Amino acid sequence: MIAALGLLVGILLGLVFQPDVPLSLEPYLPIAVVAALDAVFGGLRAYLDGIFDDKVFVVSFLSNVFIAASIVYLGDQLGVGGQLTTGVIVVLGIRIFSNVAAIRRHLFHA
Amino acid sequence: MAEDRSLPEHVTTPLLSLITQQALEEDYRSVAERRLREGGAQERPPSRAVAAVVIAVFGILISVAAVQNSRNEEVETAGRTTLIARIGEARNDLEDRQARIADLTRENRQLTDSLAELGTVRVQAVSRLRGLQVVAGYFPAAGEGVRVVVNDNPIGDAVQRVTDADLAMLVDGLWEAGAEAIAINDQRLNPLGSIRNVGLAVHVNTVPLTPPYVVRAIGDTRTLQADLLNTTHGAQFFSLADQLGFEYSMDNVSELELPAARQRPLSSVESGTAEQRRDRGAEEEES
Repeated sequence: MIAALGLLVGILLGLVFQPDVPLSLEPYLPIAVVAALDAVFGGLRAYLDGIFDDKVFVVSFLSNVFIAASIVYLGDQLGVGGQLTTGVIVVLGIRIFSNVAAIRRHLFHA
Repeated sequence: MAEDRSLPEHVTTPLLSLITQQALEEDYRSVAERRLREGGAQERPPSRAVAAVVIAVFGILISVAAVQNSRNEEVETAGRTTLIARIGEARNDLEDRQARIADLTRENRQLTDSLAELGTVRVQAVSRLRGLQVVAGYFPAAGEGVRVVVNDNPIGDAVQRVTDADLAMLVDGLWEAGAEAIAINDQRLNPLGSIRNVGLAVHVNTVPLTPPYVVRAIGDTRTLQADLLNTTHGAQFFSLADQLGFEYSMDNVSELELPAARQRPLSSVESGTAEQRRDRGAEEEES
């Protein structure tokens, strides 16, 4: 409940203030969002499994976002940013899908 | 494959299966197990404040990304519209240029055709000019021809001398017989040339000559002599020469060289066609 409230507050804050992202960070924002999405779904699944832990969630969230952005930044510096972005998206996408599948099993028992 | 079995499981598992298996952070599980081991009794009261803050950060991230994306969308749409407009302009430009290429190609073809025509005309004009220049004695002329040497009757009186009329008759006969260039004693004859008697001396082109008179005519050696005898003036000249007892001889020469005729400066002739002259006159009046 408090998590959903936090999400709502965050979205509203973002929409109200509409902060300008520095141009140099702009390419890493989408990949950061996908990494965060992965951490959030992982946390939700852990919550439903009954093994949720605040510390693990926070650490996984921050490290996911940071590592994903770093990998893409490194790829940009090496000239393979597009390919590395694709690789990160694929891995995170698979994780998101399997986590969502587990969540679905919990919610609908199917 | 004994050594394969010795490898750990996370090495032998295919990558995609590994990713799927470890979709849930291992840490959740290990932390839960540890907590169980340490005694499940000390359940912490669920303080989810930090997690809520992180979730809020997540929400901010999502909304900022979405806002940024939609903003970029506008810029990109504007950019795309501009690009499309520019493509259209460039395409129109290309069409114009291609039309121009077609026009120029057509014009080029026409000009080539007219160039070929003009080339033919020019060749004709040049050959005509050469003919006229030969007749007018504009250049020295060379070629095979006939040489006629005429001298006064050595024992005759004043009447039996060679006069302008006799030479003119011979020259007319040679022109008629097809001579292309004629000279008397190195005086080239052209339409403006003259053969005149001044006293006893014969003047050709106003230059006094002394006998014997050497008339050299460039023409076809195979026919020139015979044709000369067949012409009215030629026949008249030879019968007159026989009557008056002129000494004369006529023979073919394989290589004759005639000098150019004296050119009179043109005083009244202006260059250009009548139309060009009229235009020029109009311009002068304006200025």
